Amino acid sequence: MNRGLLSVSHLQALPLSLTLLMFLVFPIAVIIIVSFWDYDSYQLIPGFILDNYQYLLTSSVTWQAYLNTFKYAISTWLITLVLGFSIAYYLAFHIRTTRMQTLLFMLCTIPFFTSNIIRMISWIPLLGRNGMVNSFLLSTGLIEQPLEFLLYSDFSIILAYVHLYTLFMVTPIFNTMMRIDRRLIEAARDAGAAPWQILLMVIVPLCKSGILIGSIFVLTMVMGDFVTVSIMGGGLHASVGLIIKNEISLLQYPAAAASAVVLLITVLIMLMVMFRLVDIRKEL
Amino acid sequence: MARTTGNRRPRSFYWLTALFALFMLFLYGPTLTIGILSFQGPNGGLTFPMNGVSLYWFHNLFTEQQVGDFGGSFTRSLLLGVGVMLCTTVFSLLAGFAYRRRFAGSNTLFYLTLASLIIPSILISLGIGLMFDRLGWAPHWYSSAFGAHLTWTLPFGLLIMFAVFNRFNPSFEAAARDLGASHWQTVRLIVLPLIAPSLLGVALFGLTLSYDEFARTLMVSGSFNTLPLELFGMTTNVTTPVLYALGTLTTVFSFAVITLIVVLMSVSRQRQQHH
Amino acid sequence: MTQQYDEATTPAAASAEADTSNSSLISRRSLIKGAGALSAVAVGSGAITGFPMIWAQNIKNVTLRQFGTGVSNLNDIAKKAKEDLGINLELTALDSDAVAQRAVTQPNSYDIADIEYWICKKVFPAGVMQPMNVERMKNFSKISPLFINGKLTPDSKIAQGTAPHTVGFVESADSKTFAKEPTQWMTLIPTIYNADTLGIRPDLVGRDITTWADIMDPAFKGKASILNIPAIGIMDAAMIAEAMGKVSYGDKGNMTKEEIDKTIGLLMEAKKASQFRAFWKSFDESVNLMASGEVVIQSMWSPAVAAVRSRGIACKYQPLKEGYRAWGGGLGLAKHLTGLELDAAYEYIDWYLSGWVGAYLNRQGYYSAAPETAKNFMSADEWGYWMEGKAAAGDILSPEGKVMEKAGAVRDGGSYAERMGHVACWNSVMDENKYMVRKWNEFIVS
Repeated sequence: MNRGLLSVSHLQALPLSLTLLMFLVFPIAVIIIVSFWDYDSYQLIPGFILDNYQYLLTSSVTWQAYLNTFKYAISTWLITLVLGFSIAYYLAFHIRTTRMQTLLFMLCTIPFFTSNIIRMISWIPLLGRNGMVNSFLLSTGLIEQPLEFLLYSDFSIILAYVHLYTLFMVTPIFNTMMRIDRRLIEAARDAGAAPWQILLMVIVPLCKSGILIGSIFVLTMVMGDFVTVSIMGGGLHASVGLIIKNEISLLQYPAAAASAVVLLITVLIMLMVMFRLVDIRKEL
Repeated sequence: MARTTGNRRPRSFYWLTALFALFMLFLYGPTLTIGILSFQGPNGGLTFPMNGVSLYWFHNLFTEQQVGDFGGSFTRSLLLGVGVMLCTTVFSLLAGFAYRRRFAGSNTLFYLTLASLIIPSILISLGIGLMFDRLGWAPHWYSSAFGAHLTWTLPFGLLIMFAVFNRFNPSFEAAARDLGASHWQTVRLIVLPLIAPSLLGVALFGLTLSYDEFARTLMVSGSFNTLPLELFGMTTNVTTPVLYALGTLTTVFSFAVITLIVVLMSVSRQRQQHH
Repeated sequence: MTQQYDEATTPAAASAEADTSNSSLISRRSLIKGAGALSAVAVGSGAITGFPMIWAQNIKNVTLRQFGTGVSNLNDIAKKAKEDLGINLELTALDSDAVAQRAVTQPNSYDIADIEYWICKKVFPAGVMQPMNVERMKNFSKISPLFINGKLTPDSKIAQGTAPHTVGFVESADSKTFAKEPTQWMTLIPTIYNADTLGIRPDLVGRDITTWADIMDPAFKGKASILNIPAIGIMDAAMIAEAMGKVSYGDKGNMTKEEIDKTIGLLMEAKKASQFRAFWKSFDESVNLMASGEVVIQSMWSPAVAAVRSRGIACKYQPLKEGYRAWGGGLGLAKHLTGLELDAAYEYIDWYLSGWVGAYLNRQGYYSAAPETAKNFMSADEWGYWMEGKAAAGDILSPEGKVMEKAGAVRDGGSYAERMGHVACWNSVMDENKYMVRKWNEFIVS
């Protein structure tokens, strides 16, 4: 193995490294610097002040926003996990031909080709007071008043997240399931294990890496989101991402940068805990 | 529990089929709503009730809108998507090769790539925007937005390449070399054809992720909007079911493309079996 | 003006002038002609050639990049500018947040900024724009005094908030400080403005709405909405709080911290009681909320009301006893513009005031900054309906030629003078802006 300072590998990794340096490392550095700057309503004032952080860490807005965001992240994670695992299990163990598996998988991806913005707008006619779901429920006589909580609520926000991100859970879990040696399951069954025992003691442990990768996707995407919260929450609800977005739109870049740094640290801590549990590189 | 042999389906199969069907209904709910509402009459709005039924909005899609420019922004998004797709494929492939050996800094680069994936998009957008601002550079959809999109697509590309090479059997290469093939010949004739389907996957990921990217583009697109930004900008005036018509057409188009790919794949598979 | 246009409108205009008190006396014949002329303007704008003013020839094919919200970044305007001036106008429509952002942070990405006055108050001092020399504008004198000294008529009262004239002028060509009196250097040339009030679904509210306080009526629990753009939303909230008698303000446009606390406190209480269904941020959202019946009472823009109504859904732009909350926008020049491009920008902005665009905006339900030039491009019936509060003699068409109102309709809120004369405050940026935004965020997460 060539472990010199400049190997072929280094050359091969150069485009990736340069891109990340230019569009990831430098910008984050700029954010960190700017988070210590002062500002007024139209410009940045270079300096070194701690006000942005001081306000951020002592304000009830921050705590409330983090509370909301964690609530969304954890609910979405639980639902996508159960749903994603079931779907992946269905595709991996119940569908018998590769072609059918591919076909059903493709079927899952098609809605994602329509612009997210357009899909979001269409939730209103679906879930609204006079929307399809309410009309249907009213016509069947299941309810007498239209359900108000279907739209512009925590419910609708989490629903949209589940809609957007379940596939990110299905894919890695499905991937790991396909690599499980079927003889292990046969062996467990021959040894007299009940179906639920096989599921909990054989399949779930073997899917651990897929579950973790999916969880990382879902949790980080929900933590940083602002588009879904603002559209599905009808402006009544806020997440950390939305607060940052608001600060940016009001040109309060240093405040936004400070919030961003805190969010980044939060996400990184969450990930460090998860990476402890699995070596993502080996498990792909 | 599923039996991999025998034809009797366990009860769990039916439960899960029902669940899958419900999931499909849920996934396609918005798509269906869009589909129905895109046939609104000329005076219809974005919500129910339907105000007549017509093909008016499909026709309208190809005429000039009151605000915004589908043609220009679509072209920009497509060009950007194709550029990002090419770069993502090439960069990920190269990096994939790099990671087949150990090299100094490989861990740092790996975690940086992961960070790029999981850092909230709004942060990348803000960071690149501020950086360009401080350096006095003008942001453009083909420069700053291009970079912002790469920070989103490259991690997916690299992760897929890892998955590919982790499962790649090196004995093919060894055999080729034993037969006297040069390093380059081995790569070109053995490795690339074997991983071609996955590379196609990387390319498709690159294209679709870039085409629909919103948050990372928000502050870095320069004078002209990409399609998602344009759609968002259009909502500052009266938007019409023409948006839904656009959505329906994209869905139908992707359906057609995917069907075509599936058909082509099965045809080529049959041919291989014949020979 | 073309001959055909003149011939068609003159009789109608003449009879309208001859007897303003009783428009039913207008002869049937002139009515038909008037309606014909109207559709000629609305649909076949290409038919009107031979523009009376001769625009500079050397600016042909200069390209100018303009950005703003979708409200006024209309493709028809770019097309007409190409026709009349030969310049290529490249428009970018953004949401209102992105507008302020782009104006300040990417000054080289545009040549002309189409922004609101309260945004101008934030953007201009950043030094990214250059003021315009009014002596180069042939149509400067046609601009409504509202933008020059803040008074619609010599004896009207100046409204609170960031009134356009307070940020409309600077001391000199390279100054960044706003002038107290009109000078030769204008920051924005005003183009579009309006007075906002509450929009209601008359079929669903079930009672008369007379005051801003009505939005907090428990009867509308879960069916009300206000704007979620802090600088505008806080003014809505102030109108409401004042009308309810909960807060009395020294100056709504420049609140003290205590006044902000009280106002936001009131909003938070209402939010806890589930008074609001949603907050809207874009034109489109407000239209959808209303059209879908999610909301029956909300602060609203006049053209948004028209958009709901054009779908056959009852919607009313409801004048209130406390008056309106107004907003205004205009065109400003980027600092980097020089030479031929600068000349072209001047020509373009001057052209903007010369009437065609004004008439177009008037027909959408906004107001033109130079009303008298716009009048030349509207039929007497259109002028009567949109500006004078008269009953429409024929069908009123939108700029695209769709019927917006049937004959006999009277505009909600009445005439131009009636509406713009009752402005209580303008959208504003306060001294305590930073504090206000923080409190607003508190309200949103609560």
